[in-house]
Amino acid sequence: MKDRTSFDRRHWLKGAGVSLALPFLDSMSWASGENSSTPPVRLGFMYMPHGVIMDDFWPSEPNRFLDSPPPAIESLGPILDQCLMIKGISGVPISPFNGAPHALELSTWLTATLPDSDTRSRVNIAISADQIMANYVGSETPLPSLELATMPQTWKENQEGLHEAYYSHCSYRSPTQPVPAEIDPRNVLNRLFGKSEKFGSVSRANPLDRQMLDRVLGGARDLRRTLAKGDRLKLDEYLDSVRAVERRIAAIENRQKENALEKSGLRSAGRDSNQSAPIEISIPEGDKRSEYMQVMCDLTVLAFQTDTTRVSTYIGSTPNGVSYPELGFTDQHHSQTHHENQEEMVGKVAAITKFNIDQFAYMVNKMARLQEGDGTLLDHCIMMWGSGLEDGNNHTRKNLPFILAGRGGGTVNTGRFLTDLRGNQGDLLTTLLSCAGVPLDRPIGIATKQIEELKTKSARGSQDG
Amino acid sequence: MLLPHPNRFLSGHLKSRRTNVFRCVGVFMVGLAIGLVALVTVPKGFAEEEPTQPEPTREETLRAEAKVIFKETVQPFVRKYCTDCHGSRPEGGINLESALKDPGTTSASLHWRQAVANVRVHDMPPEDAGEVPTDEERLEFLDGVGKLKYLAPMDPGQYVMRRLNRTEYGNTVHDLFGVDPSIGNRLPDEVEGEGFLNSISPLQSEIFLELANEVVEQVVSPTGMLPTEVQKNLFRETPADPNEYRNTARQVARRLTRDAYRRPASESELNVLMDIFVLARDHEMDYQSALGMVLKAVLVSPQFLFITPVEHTVTEESIVALDDYQLASRLSYLLWSSPPDPELASLADQGRLHEPGVLGSQIERLLEAPRSRALFDGFGAHWLGLRGFADQTFDLEVFPELTPELREAMLDEVRLLFQSVIDENGAIFQLIDTDYTYLNGPLANLYGLEDHVQGRDMQRVQLEDRNRGGILGMPATLATTSLPNRTSPVRRGYWVLERVLGETVPPPPPNVPELKETEQKNIEGLTLRQRMELHQSEPTCANCHKLLDPIGFGLESFDAIGRWRGVDDVGGKIDSAGQLSTGETFSNPAELKTILALRKDAIARNLTERFMAYAIGRPLEGYDEVVIDQLMTTLTEDGYRMRTMIKEVLSSYLFTHRKIKG
Repeated sequence: MKDRTSFDRRHWLKGAGVSLALPFLDSMSWASGENSSTPPVRLGFMYMPHGVIMDDFWPSEPNRFLDSPPPAIESLGPILDQCLMIKGISGVPISPFNGAPHALELSTWLTATLPDSDTRSRVNIAISADQIMANYVGSETPLPSLELATMPQTWKENQEGLHEAYYSHCSYRSPTQPVPAEIDPRNVLNRLFGKSEKFGSVSRANPLDRQMLDRVLGGARDLRRTLAKGDRLKLDEYLDSVRAVERRIAAIENRQKENALEKSGLRSAGRDSNQSAPIEISIPEGDKRSEYMQVMCDLTVLAFQTDTTRVSTYIGSTPNGVSYPELGFTDQHHSQTHHENQEEMVGKVAAITKFNIDQFAYMVNKMARLQEGDGTLLDHCIMMWGSGLEDGNNHTRKNLPFILAGRGGGTVNTGRFLTDLRGNQGDLLTTLLSCAGVPLDRPIGIATKQIEELKTKSARGSQDG
Repeated sequence: MLLPHPNRFLSGHLKSRRTNVFRCVGVFMVGLAIGLVALVTVPKGFAEEEPTQPEPTREETLRAEAKVIFKETVQPFVRKYCTDCHGSRPEGGINLESALKDPGTTSASLHWRQAVANVRVHDMPPEDAGEVPTDEERLEFLDGVGKLKYLAPMDPGQYVMRRLNRTEYGNTVHDLFGVDPSIGNRLPDEVEGEGFLNSISPLQSEIFLELANEVVEQVVSPTGMLPTEVQKNLFRETPADPNEYRNTARQVARRLTRDAYRRPASESELNVLMDIFVLARDHEMDYQSALGMVLKAVLVSPQFLFITPVEHTVTEESIVALDDYQLASRLSYLLWSSPPDPELASLADQGRLHEPGVLGSQIERLLEAPRSRALFDGFGAHWLGLRGFADQTFDLEVFPELTPELREAMLDEVRLLFQSVIDENGAIFQLIDTDYTYLNGPLANLYGLEDHVQGRDMQRVQLEDRNRGGILGMPATLATTSLPNRTSPVRRGYWVLERVLGETVPPPPPNVPELKETEQKNIEGLTLRQRMELHQSEPTCANCHKLLDPIGFGLESFDAIGRWRGVDDVGGKIDSAGQLSTGETFSNPAELKTILALRKDAIARNLTERFMAYAIGRPLEGYDEVVIDQLMTTLTEDGYRMRTMIKEVLSSYLFTHRKIKG
């Protein structure tokens, strides 16, 4: 049986391009009428493997960040004042898995934790930052979190005896439960806004499904009592996932009910005149990587704009077997990063990096143009782009490359380049969750502190103690 | 132009070593293990009988012997040469101090395996270490570590209830409800077989519900319309008397779950479904639609989505035999990627499937059916690294002939060879060395046999060219180890050692030294081989590259898509002669193949280990190796036959038992 085809030949892209507006949807009206409320902070992560060309990526000097940005982030030009670059965040030291730099760059990215070395052939790492946030705010939206990827998560290679999944997953719902990502934009739309018979329309959720699931869950709990311990843990994952489905159905029902009320005039739509309408999604006709990635970015924007979820991850590219035909390179990204300073290869890596940042910039630029509450959508987001290595040539991870965009509801002090931060990946993730208002009972992974430098003064004050 | 680093030829860079290959260097205690074979075929009640059986005494002898060897050979060697660096603050993650404390555990076996790989190729102890062991000491150590497996307690490993993968899901709804199996492709892509992620997320559960809705829509006609054939078969007629509804609905649910849960449902499981029937009826659904709701519930139930044991497995035992229903599912999904057919189901109902004669003939029957091609798609393609081949990137300006049709034929060639060796119960090493292959028109072109074979259909072809025939000389395998625009001798060498011979090659050191300036002279016009040979002067690389490179060079006569060639990309004449690290010399791919095919035991053992890992869904560890030794004894006596191997693995203690505690 053949796999879904690879990126450049994927079948969904064949056929007519479709443009889709979602008239049935309202963007959330955070600042309207009597129910005035502040938009929540949303958190999004976008990943590229193998590190960057440092001369291209890091600003040459801190005080010239705004007027002379480095070439790699050119496309962020319009919103540089809403971006923050941070240097001095080290990755997780990977000893004892020195032979697995690429398996670990993605799996440690949001966990800041190494896999357990005694059970390395199974997945056993830690809950990831995005899933910690999903646990905290996920029940308030139809989807607890959104996970997207460009390539299927089936790379089969285990370095240092580590389970293959470490190669292709960044989100972990629990230490033993990697979260699969969706790669088909049509399925993502379906997930976000309910089953659609005809592309672009939505049929009603079957009201009985939730009650049916409720009884199935009851039966599963009976079954659980008769099972051995290992089987029970497996069944718990099932129970957890089905409960999430129940919540999603309830949220969609709720949304449809509100819509109906508004349509019948029983309730005012309450849309602010300066509130942007939901963006349109168009599925491109060709099979260009950039267009595909931009659809995935649009879906993230739409999900945030409609408050369908508040946390997302997008694995823009995976650590192996990926090439960039759109840029005219058939070589694999990985092999080019071992460039030994040869000009041609360095040039290719720089172009690949810029390509990835361009897609991120497409997303955050769009967010900056959408009105929400008393500001823009981006004002209420923290979007992080980054890689799991600093320099792919030497596999270093002393200064991991990161770009933050969005002021996180006034918690992130943007428009700056911070150097010499002396923090680690766990510190950064802990800080970002704190900015997003997620209370933590313990730091994430190897964290020992928060990176106060990146916060605004008011955010620092509020996090005291 | 600078000289590229040799690791670059290995695009994955630190191309992994699998965890599940036990390279027991030295003598396997074959003779002593014969007595243990009897245990393997006792599927039930082994655990409680252990103390009274004579065989464990045998095992105890081996264990006692292993203890002595550990104390007299392994421990002193490690203390003398290793623990200075690999002690409590372990370098390279290899902690031999903890391995010495508890040498028989799973985590220790991991450290041992790495130690063996490094010591064998003289990579460790490093040459600048104060004292270096003699060759004799090395061999004794390697031999001794090979026996530590006997310290592991008898244990089939955990077998946690498993979720159906996307292929199995599609085939199951097809077999049971006549739905197109491609429906499973809507689930997220995933690794199947060894490395399968047996977990379930909200995303997957959402899709399972969607798919269930779709299956019900296809199977159950809307009210007022004629029922579908599948519906008639599943739900039968609506009873004339509505008072009968509950009664007949329960019968429907009982039949439905026998197939869908792959075992009889308990009364309480049926009660849940009846609750749902009542729920639907209360919401004004007619009889047939209400049963549709029951069907939907079945399709999202854990009993359908997972292979669950029959109830009442609560027991004091920590190791139990699989019940016959689980065994039927396990066999059927493994060999067919499909649910048990009526014959298997009926044998499970009779409680006879585990009987050795019955089990053996059922395995034969499953292997003979066309559906057993699932074994290549699920296992064979994974083993040979071909699973991603259809989508592997190639530079189409260099290889314009590599069309999707040609790729399919290349893959089919390997599959048909694999199947022919199963069908004819040939020896495993025939996969390496045969005198026939399967070609169609486009593929024959690549072979230069376009005069002999035309058309789209694959046909069996007798080969005269000894360089071809077997997986070492096949376009698909030669291409899968290549880079987009050229060959990679390192990757080919690594592939042969690791995938075919089952050897563990240590990874490159974490910080690869820069090549010295002096070596970067006059490389213009050198062949790839000549350039790579320059690297062997770097001692940290040479230890491993002298294992990998000769094999890769020996296959340089084939280009990156497996065509024969006399000159390489830069026009240099191909030199495919060489000498293996074990001393044998060859002058072309045919001779290389002949030499490697003689390693019958290594080839068969590697395939057996990999198939076992695939069958039990986890990497091999600890006690597994003892079981593999036993299988190898049987297999050797039988001439390393393919079907025998499959049957032995699927009748083994590891496959038919599971640990439920501890």
